[in-house]
Amino acid sequence: MVAEENLRVVRSGGSKLNFRRAVFSADSKYLFCVSGDFVKVYSTATEECIYVLQGHSNLVTGIQLNPQNHLQLYSCSLDGTIKLWDFIDGILIKTFVVGCKLYAFFASVHLEDSVFIIVNKEIPDGFQLASLKLPKSPSQEVEAKELSFVLDYISQSPKCTAFGREGQYVVAARDLYMSVYFFKKKKTFRFSLPSGNKKNCNNIFTCIACHPKEDCIASGHQDGRIRLWRNFNDNKNYTYTSLHWHHDVVMDLAFSIEGTSLLSGGRESVLVEWRGGIEKNKEFLPRLGGTIEHISASPGGDLFCTCHSDNKIMIIHRNLEVSAIIQGLVKDSVVNTGLMIDPRTKALVMNGKPGHLQFYSLQNDKQLYNLDIVQQEYVNDPGLVHIELMKAAFSSQGNWLATVEQRHEKEAELELQMKLWEFNEQQQGFILNTRINMPHEDHVTALCFSDTENSETPTLVTTSKDGHFKVWILTNDSDIYKQAMGWTCDFVGSYHNYQATNCCFSEDESLLAVSFEEIITIWDSATWELKCTFCHRPGKIKNLCFGRQTCSKYLLGTTEKSFLCCWNLLTCALEWSVQLSVIVLEPDPNSDNIAAMSWSSGGSDLFVFKPSEPRPLCIQKSMCREKVQCAVFVPRDVPESFISEDYQWLNKSQFYFLNESQDLMTFSTKSPEEKLTPSSKQLIAEESLPTTPFYFLMGKHRKQQETNEIMENELIYHPSAEDIPAISELLQTPAHVLPSASFLCSMFVNSLLISKGTKSAEEIPDDIEMESGKATDDSDEENDISEKVQKATNDTVIEDEIIPQLSKTQERELRKLRKVDYSWMCSL
Amino acid sequence: MAASGGGRRDPLAPSGSPCAFSPRGQHYFSLAGPDGHLRVWETASSRLHQDFVPSAHLSATCTCLAWAPPRSLAKEGPQRKKRKSEAVGTGDQVDLLAIGTAVGSILLYNTLKGELQSKLVSGGHDNKVNCIQWHQDNDCLYSCSDDKHIVEWNTQTCRVKCKWKGDISSVSALCISPDGKMLLSAGRTIKLWDLETKEVYRHFTGHATAVSSLMFTTLRPPKESQPFDGITGLYFLSGAVHDRLLNVWQVRSENKEKNAVMSFTVTDEPVYIDLTLSENKEEPVKLAVVCRDGQVHLFEHILNGYCKKPLTSNCTIQIATSGKDKESTPSPIPILAAAFCSDKQSLLLVYGSLLQPAIERVSLHSKEPHMCLIRDINCWTPKIGVAVTKVKTPVMNSEAKVLGPGIPGHHAAMKATLETEKTESKKRLKENEQISIEERLGAMDIDTMKEKRKGDLKADSYPVLLVQGLESNDCYMLNKVLQTRKDTLIRNTVLRIPVYAVIPLLNELTKRLQGHPNSAVLMVPWLKSVLTIHASYLSTLPDLVPQLGMLYQLMESRVKTLRKLSRLHGKLILLITQVAASEKTQGVPPPEQTAKLVYEEESSEEESDDELMADKNSDENWEEDEEEKESEKDEVEDDDDEDDDDDDDDDEQEIDQDTENEMT
Repeated sequence: MVAEENLRVVRSGGSKLNFRRAVFSADSKYLFCVSGDFVKVYSTATEECIYVLQGHSNLVTGIQLNPQNHLQLYSCSLDGTIKLWDFIDGILIKTFVVGCKLYAFFASVHLEDSVFIIVNKEIPDGFQLASLKLPKSPSQEVEAKELSFVLDYISQSPKCTAFGREGQYVVAARDLYMSVYFFKKKKTFRFSLPSGNKKNCNNIFTCIACHPKEDCIASGHQDGRIRLWRNFNDNKNYTYTSLHWHHDVVMDLAFSIEGTSLLSGGRESVLVEWRGGIEKNKEFLPRLGGTIEHISASPGGDLFCTCHSDNKIMIIHRNLEVSAIIQGLVKDSVVNTGLMIDPRTKALVMNGKPGHLQFYSLQNDKQLYNLDIVQQEYVNDPGLVHIELMKAAFSSQGNWLATVEQRHEKEAELELQMKLWEFNEQQQGFILNTRINMPHEDHVTALCFSDTENSETPTLVTTSKDGHFKVWILTNDSDIYKQAMGWTCDFVGSYHNYQATNCCFSEDESLLAVSFEEIITIWDSATWELKCTFCHRPGKIKNLCFGRQTCSKYLLGTTEKSFLCCWNLLTCALEWSVQLSVIVLEPDPNSDNIAAMSWSSGGSDLFVFKPSEPRPLCIQKSMCREKVQCAVFVPRDVPESFISEDYQWLNKSQFYFLNESQDLMTFSTKSPEEKLTPSSKQLIAEESLPTTPFYFLMGKHRKQQETNEIMENELIYHPSAEDIPAISELLQTPAHVLPSASFLCSMFVNSLLISKGTKSAEEIPDDIEMESGKATDDSDEENDISEKVQKATNDTVIEDEIIPQLSKTQERELRKLRKVDYSWMCSL
Repeated sequence: MAASGGGRRDPLAPSGSPCAFSPRGQHYFSLAGPDGHLRVWETASSRLHQDFVPSAHLSATCTCLAWAPPRSLAKEGPQRKKRKSEAVGTGDQVDLLAIGTAVGSILLYNTLKGELQSKLVSGGHDNKVNCIQWHQDNDCLYSCSDDKHIVEWNTQTCRVKCKWKGDISSVSALCISPDGKMLLSAGRTIKLWDLETKEVYRHFTGHATAVSSLMFTTLRPPKESQPFDGITGLYFLSGAVHDRLLNVWQVRSENKEKNAVMSFTVTDEPVYIDLTLSENKEEPVKLAVVCRDGQVHLFEHILNGYCKKPLTSNCTIQIATSGKDKESTPSPIPILAAAFCSDKQSLLLVYGSLLQPAIERVSLHSKEPHMCLIRDINCWTPKIGVAVTKVKTPVMNSEAKVLGPGIPGHHAAMKATLETEKTESKKRLKENEQISIEERLGAMDIDTMKEKRKGDLKADSYPVLLVQGLESNDCYMLNKVLQTRKDTLIRNTVLRIPVYAVIPLLNELTKRLQGHPNSAVLMVPWLKSVLTIHASYLSTLPDLVPQLGMLYQLMESRVKTLRKLSRLHGKLILLITQVAASEKTQGVPPPEQTAKLVYEEESSEEESDDELMADKNSDENWEEDEEEKESEKDEVEDDDDEDDDDDDDDDEQEIDQDTENEMT
């Protein structure tokens, strides 16, 4: 295969998407969100991740579109840099090194030369809003140190800082105080609210939003109230009105781009739209899932998006209809079910949303769907105890799914329910076959299936803290009314009333191992007779598994007192034991290897070994800082063929594990360089759509309105091809799509006037034209304007001499013009 | 597999719709429907991923589709820093789909962004585009058309690189050789072009009708003796319109050979073909051919020279509806496309309607020559106005079996426990022996007593009715008897039923106890009187444990929730009976019985203290009147300390006590 580097631990997707507000691009086609050290660019139409902007070396804390150029994006990070990206092509343009941890980033159209950041200078809890001058320099890495503080002692969260209408003022809130700083007057006003000793009154600020057109500030509070502040350029005569619908914290607020409506959301997971700032006039979009953490509105005004605590971004249309869901790996606080592989779809399965089982495609890094196991409406309220999905197991062919759910309020009785789902091939979905109430009298600790193809009845074993393990088999329940198959209990086993903690079938399923606290019992699965017991005192058994394939005569167990033991089932003797505090013990289903992950203060270690061999195949010390929660081997579709001993264990399966911070990690053997270099096969298809006649006329008119002087320039320097087509298009276009004659006239005249001086441009053959286009493209990526001038062909030199500094948008405009169809020339 | 990128379609027939799987892993399936929509589905979840309507979909309908080879998306900035952990790329992403139209233009659609990226028009075709092939290495795209030309496009610039006349009639199919240096084109005859010089390298006879699909089947020639120049010795496959034979051709070094090497026969003309490329000599080529009639034929063959007879398929896959419900006859479901998964062991099948096809992964382990999959297509009908959601709800219907504590099947049947729970069963065995001796004596007494009683009392209609009801299993009769609430009536009825009716009565009672609580309450006095009156008979039965095991479990599980209360209740009953008994003994002269029985009474009194109580536990608890609970609650706390005895006794012990009670 490829040249093999060291095994490296890499993050395998599933990272957090809801850390900060998502940002829309100007045309609402793209959505940006921070995700760990990266910024992800999603398409709002297809929910697909288009680019991952990598470059920061620490958590990205803020993103915002460049107000000067809406095709660029600023991002700031805890690594002390601000980076400027071209998100259309996914490339880094510039890096500004600030040198201290940056917690948030703001930029405003009206304050051109500087941007604002939240930094933490002295005291651990004191954050300042500072303005930063970004130096204009052609080099790629620029130091930016000109900090000037604007507001002191503000909140770390960017939600509590907002810029007002036309960048005239900035508002920041913390605890019970709100400060407004006016840039022109250089004056700060502070407003405070009473601490609220009254009932149901908690006035702590949680978020701030500013009206885009009026002098109005909206603030959200801990008790669910929203206040609209006006007249705040006066310390005494300020007023506020309050809106109250939320019964819990207002998590975020956002004004629509026109300012006509205010959006708010919180733990209720209902998006509330307040129209015109009047309390009566509100619309709701309920049942959105997890807590709404962030809300943002697109600059185009057609879309909103909400980020939810279940790692999801919902794109919502203006009329409050959900149009797309970008769903990451749902991170619950605990992974009760562990990691599993669905044998049918090869998807990773774990518990996701409350009461759901999530299916996650590892190949695409995308959630496939959530399977609603509990089927009860989820009410997001802190006081409620919900039914939780505790355990799940698939049979080896994926025909059966067993789930255990429980609800345990502190004083009340434990409620347990086990459901057995059959995969129905006709309907291609799971159908409930048997529901068992209280399968055990106490918590179910483990589940395992045995159904090889040759065995006739699938068998399920459940172990419980009530000291029993139960064997459930599929039996024929047919009677005269219907044909039915159902699960019934076949056998109940116990051992001296000890709690049963683990169970495991041997590979040929002739033996069942059940651990009872310190003792492992081996049962014959044909007669359910107790065959023998193993024990390695002291310490309760934590993990249990049989060896596979050539090592199927071994049984492995780990104890709480940090021993890993291997017993030989033929001699019934301890083969070997090692002192190792193993957390996860996971056998590879496709080979005889077993992975053990241990944890010490230095980090998690991985050991891969064959039970029959004394020497481990692979040792990875401190491969991950956090404790590993669970791990799984995922069979590869196409086996790899690593020759080196270190990776042979990865030939048939890929190894995934989940650490305590809920990151899904895996091992990569490719070198980082290889992964990063763009492949030579890269195929850059330029966007070249032939323009429609309508676009041609209308688009031109718009440009004219917006930037008159640029238009003039363009008309002078690029009078070339499109003018005469303009006439022809004008003549071809059906009358009903033509704009009004008043501006058609001026264009028509213009085109006639300048059509003479274009000969030089027209004579350039097509190919060279395109090459020059490419050349500018390349240099564009390096963002070096001066270089570009030299590379470009004659006519572009002339252009650039006349306008030496073209902005990015202008550049793009020019390039577009150059791409216009010249084929009509041939016919002349 | 690499050759599966291009969707092939029959250029003449109107019904076949162009469709294609995305290369490398087949995560997406795209299909251009007859309504002009281009739809892309996720194969893993069968979810509609996007729906695109080209602006000119009515005039320029889509005639062919081709996914671009995957390209990597992660571009990094000019500077690179060492990072602790970087995201593992999800590999190269597929994002471009080339769409050929009926008017000759080619659209490049970006599936990631969901928008049209480019349109290849200028200098291209002026008639229907028949086939598009991406070059696997560079940015070239090849297309052929009814205008007899083949065009090489540069996708970067969206311009024509080269255009040449490919045939005297329309060119209907293209295929690029594995090394990327040759191009196969076909109208009716097949030509092999050198891509550098654009000259014809070989001619092949071809088919009688227009060739609809071309594919290379091997990466290396089977004979390794001669040096490999990239093309000589390779096999390729061709299928044509209205032709039920797929021909296999070999590129030979000598120029003469123009006929097919071998052929595969299928039932109808091929619509979609997928194959696994064989990388070495031993590995057979696996071929999946989707026919117009909706079947899939699978072939497995090692290509090795001539074969005169056309080969028939190893396996045929069909899909049909079950036909169980209202529609009386099962109707076939057409398969639209099939592709081998990357493990070569399973097949992705797309079937159903063009608007909402179902996508399923079928493993190919069975050796059967014919597979008929029964699928319910109704659940895939397109739904309108459903909110965007990513939650699937599995079916929970009332047909599912429900097990709860006390319902048979929730706990293991009792007979099993005798064999396995060794420690307990040993004890039990001893007890059994003891019981049996006592029992015989007791039973004799009772029988005689009963006979006497029978003689005395008049035969009531209730016992007769009950026995008849039990024998005929007549619900009406049973209801009439069992729904009475009078305790004396119940007692008398139970007293008078024959012994052979006891077990059926108990079974009937058990069944009714599992039902609705309201009706179960009525059964409790019946159960109580049966157990107290007929305990002696019951204990004589050898197979009592399996027969009444279910009843025992039921009682256990119901009593469990009120363990303390039932203990208290049992103790109180014990006290009351003892008090009553002592009063009796004081008042009544000592019984005129033999010494043997006196002895027994003493011994059993010690034992029966707790046993009797346990018995009462299970019996009395059925009538958990609210008042009782209320009144006894206070006492529960006081009596807690005294509850030190265990509840491990089971049926037999209870029955044992019952007999003793009777005897005393």
